[in-house]
Amino acid sequence: MIVLVILAIVVGRIMYLGTVHQRFSSAYFIRAFLESLKLGSLYALIALGYTMVYGIIRLINFAHGEVFMVGAFFTYFLFSFSPYPLFVAALWSIFIAFGFMKIIEFWRGKLNDPVVLAFGVAAFILATYLLNQTTVNFFVALAFSMLLTGVLGILIDKIAYAPLRTAPRNSLLITAIAVSFFWQNFGLLVFTNRQTPFRPDTFLRDKLVFSVGNGTVRTTMLSIAIPLISLILVVILTLFVTRTRLGKAMRASAQDAEVAQMMGISVNKVIATTFLLGSMLAAAGGAMWGLNFGSLNQPALMGILPGIKAFAAAVIGGIGSLPGAVIGALIIGFMENFMTAIFPKTADFQGITEFKDTFAFILLIIVLLIRPSGIVGEDLSEKV
Amino acid sequence: MQDTTHIVQPNRDRNILLTIAATIGVALLLWLLTSLGSIKLSSALALFAIWGIATVSLNLVNGTLGILSLGHHGFMLIGGYTTALLILSDEKRENILSSGRSAMTPFTLGLSIKNFFNAIGLTALTTDETLWLRFLVAILIGGLLAAVVGLIVGIPSLRLRGDYLAIVTFGFGEIIRLTASTRFFSPLTNGALGFSGVPIQFGKSVWWTFAFLGITIYVISKLKYSSFGRAMEGIREDEIASEAMGVNLAYHKVLGFVISSFFAGIAGGLWVSWLGGARLDSFLFTLTFFFLVALSVGGTGSITGVLLGTALVVFVRQYGDPLEQSYLITTWALAFGVILLLTALAIYIFRTLRRSRPKIIPAFYFFLGAGVLTIILALLAPSLGIMQGEFRGFGMRAIFLSILLIIIMVFRPDGMVGRAEFNWAWVFGERLDQPTEEERKQDAWLSNPELNRPGGAANTSEVEED
Amino acid sequence: MAMLEISKLNKSFGGLQAMTDVSLNVNEGEIVSVIGPNGAGKTTLFNLITGVYTPDSGDVRFQGKSLVGKKPSQIVDMGVARTFQNLRLFTNLSIMDNILIPQHHKLKSNWLQAVLRTPGYRKEEEQMRKYALEKLSFFGPRLMSFRLYQPVYVLSYANRRRSEIARAMATGAKLLLLDEPSAGMNPKETIEMTKIIKRMRDEGGYTILLVEHKMNLVGEISDRVVVLDYGKKLAEGDYKDVVSNPEVIEAYLGKKASDDEDGSL
Repeated sequence: MIVLVILAIVVGRIMYLGTVHQRFSSAYFIRAFLESLKLGSLYALIALGYTMVYGIIRLINFAHGEVFMVGAFFTYFLFSFSPYPLFVAALWSIFIAFGFMKIIEFWRGKLNDPVVLAFGVAAFILATYLLNQTTVNFFVALAFSMLLTGVLGILIDKIAYAPLRTAPRNSLLITAIAVSFFWQNFGLLVFTNRQTPFRPDTFLRDKLVFSVGNGTVRTTMLSIAIPLISLILVVILTLFVTRTRLGKAMRASAQDAEVAQMMGISVNKVIATTFLLGSMLAAAGGAMWGLNFGSLNQPALMGILPGIKAFAAAVIGGIGSLPGAVIGALIIGFMENFMTAIFPKTADFQGITEFKDTFAFILLIIVLLIRPSGIVGEDLSEKV
Repeated sequence: MQDTTHIVQPNRDRNILLTIAATIGVALLLWLLTSLGSIKLSSALALFAIWGIATVSLNLVNGTLGILSLGHHGFMLIGGYTTALLILSDEKRENILSSGRSAMTPFTLGLSIKNFFNAIGLTALTTDETLWLRFLVAILIGGLLAAVVGLIVGIPSLRLRGDYLAIVTFGFGEIIRLTASTRFFSPLTNGALGFSGVPIQFGKSVWWTFAFLGITIYVISKLKYSSFGRAMEGIREDEIASEAMGVNLAYHKVLGFVISSFFAGIAGGLWVSWLGGARLDSFLFTLTFFFLVALSVGGTGSITGVLLGTALVVFVRQYGDPLEQSYLITTWALAFGVILLLTALAIYIFRTLRRSRPKIIPAFYFFLGAGVLTIILALLAPSLGIMQGEFRGFGMRAIFLSILLIIIMVFRPDGMVGRAEFNWAWVFGERLDQPTEEERKQDAWLSNPELNRPGGAANTSEVEED
Repeated sequence: MAMLEISKLNKSFGGLQAMTDVSLNVNEGEIVSVIGPNGAGKTTLFNLITGVYTPDSGDVRFQGKSLVGKKPSQIVDMGVARTFQNLRLFTNLSIMDNILIPQHHKLKSNWLQAVLRTPGYRKEEEQMRKYALEKLSFFGPRLMSFRLYQPVYVLSYANRRRSEIARAMATGAKLLLLDEPSAGMNPKETIEMTKIIKRMRDEGGYTILLVEHKMNLVGEISDRVVVLDYGKKLAEGDYKDVVSNPEVIEAYLGKKASDDEDGSL
């Protein structure tokens, strides 16, 4: 139906462009495809956080875009300024170790467990050593940042959202906006508005060049790495949610939090876990975003637009649904990037680049008006 | 049937006289304050009035109707840009045309009230002395245009639920701003350049701004405390029940949006006058955020609360620069340490007032310890050779307001004032929701002295025993 | 012509047939009770009449005009009002406000006149408040004191039920659909409620369709009783006849009970 029409338009347009100018060779479109795939994957990592949180507590976490931003920050600080003096390295490591303990907690059930504590201490020592003695490489920084941001997500929930569990929804939304604003301005405080280069020393930034037909595609290893890493993370998340007890508890709480609680599920723990996982993914997204664009533009504000687009993606795919979030994100990524690629600025046409940010908004509004449950989603109306 | 002691008979004549007296009082106060000669103070007062128009009108939708609307800045943009375009002086228009960098056409540049008056023969009203009249017309047109857009935004509101609706209004606010800069609208908005040289004597004047504020307060409060306002509150409390009681949801929601956006447009026009120019950056979501803080901190249930909240936000914006200067890092650390100690104190007081047990919780020790540690470090820093240098507090005001908003939402979501509204009956202690003497005597429970100590069960709105 | 004519109402929710070919008439001045086991579709019937659900097929006519497809607020304009099984009062608003809001749809003044407080509007306000007290007086003096201006959440449960009914009356409707008006009330309060409903018909001129579970109330005031089960009309008629109908007994108590021909429900 609609999908076929769109595909037809796209293919037709591609073939037309191919005849217009030599520049529009298959290499050009393959590059555009790769870029869109990267963008879509990054949006997916953020969108998953939105959709998970909304599924359980029906909150649109306005602050999630800022979590994405903080994830990029943490990564930046970790690979840029290590090695750190011992005191500072230890300070970082406390939180990194805590994050790690939270993950092991999934397996062992509670925080007081000796295994968890042992792992925690080990993580603390290892992290302190690495941060104190070496310049951590990108992957280590990424992992640490994910843990740190996960802990941040839990803290945000505990301080700002948990006290409002029983409050009217408008209050919760306003609080989320406040948290979002706080982090934006905190980022401003830390970074001012300087563009910050994001160039860790990693093979991922190496060029990847190959020829197709009579053109060459020039891109980087990231075109493979980003979709791949995102895929791995999404698969891990899906396995977690479908196979583990805690994952089942998450899905139960998303269906009916009250009954889940009556069945002995600690809904607060489930919610904290949701924030942990969502924030970890967003942090990964932030780190790879910085890597992809080579710098953080207006660092404090970098989370706003991606955050909104990722939210739009989650809604379009079907809020509350994990696959929906991924599908929606890919759609948005392609719309934003591929569409502007196939309607570029030529001699006789101005191009639509300046509208690329409004696409997500407009699509979001259209979906909300026509089919609020999204592509995959379920109907959430009230019983009289 | 019981005697009708409880039908409301407000003393209308007395109230009207009191209101007139109060208005004169406020005018005198304003005159006094402005004659002190401080431009900063006059500016701040005018800003308070302008933002007051925005917040009071926003509260009609957010507070009374209960619909979280996040696009108010978009309506202000429409009102502001319309006003600016219509009122810009001829020289300014010449400048824009001759600069060669603008997308505006002679046609769009010709859209001015002045030209319009000339065209219909009212040349007497095109002089410099009658600028105020043209400004008035420009603002009203801005308001009407914003109201039309409010109508457009209000219509999807009929189909959407709370959080989704909030996002859609946010989206509209952003779309309005983003499209204003695109090629289609640049001829009207001058794109990223915007308009400079909007006459500032109206926006910076406390008389103009407070006059409009007075009108806004009048209209919105009379609406809120009328049958229509009650219907809107019913929609907020329970949409399905309101509809089952005959309230036309669509009509009242759209009515709220349209009136609210009209005043937002007016506020926008005054805002560009206050700023002296119209630029896209003056209409960011940050504006709506400030309004949200004003609403939530003051109390969405009452106009008085909203105004108090607005006063706070304007104060922080105008007088908060000390927060954003450059200070020694040790000074920042000291300040931070003091804040930590105060938080510990606040926790202790809060738990004592609430009679929570235990009075002292782990969080208290945490803040106490962290505060003391930070202060000690800050004092010892010079000799330890750490924390050297200076640090500039960018965005401190917004950080302060965000933290304030979070604290209010967690601890006192109804706002400082809650639903208590200022009215003359309150001043005279005429409360309708407390029993009269006769009722006390007749009611067995109320006349029981055991239960009737001040603050005793019978004197509060406890759940009644039937 | 009956005041309310329901003909062959059908409604299904994604495969679940909630209502099948239900027809029912209510004449002016009657009190008709709808009874049936839980889940029989009684509240669904109310929702279909008042426009909350749209029937798949069939018609509902009030004083000859069709209600199908109209919005709930329009149906109230036409003269039909309801209460809710689980109470839907405006809990944070005052009791007086709760009784004033249902009168809003009858207002002749427009919003501008309200803002300007024209004499016409002020007169209407005064009349609305008088009318509110009139409706509350049905329940005796208990709802008319200083409590009027306190928020609804201070009321006891029984008083809330009464307020909910007063609210429906305040809409100015002629036909009232009362959904379990005595739910949660003790026997003394239930007897009082029975008397009040009778007075509503006798003195107030209301026509009443009510859903109830308490058979003593039903038997005391109903002109006719209708039994629903699984979305179908099982029986209709006099209370005594309906109650001894073996199919009805079976629906409530199971097959063996109906074989016993005990006739007691």
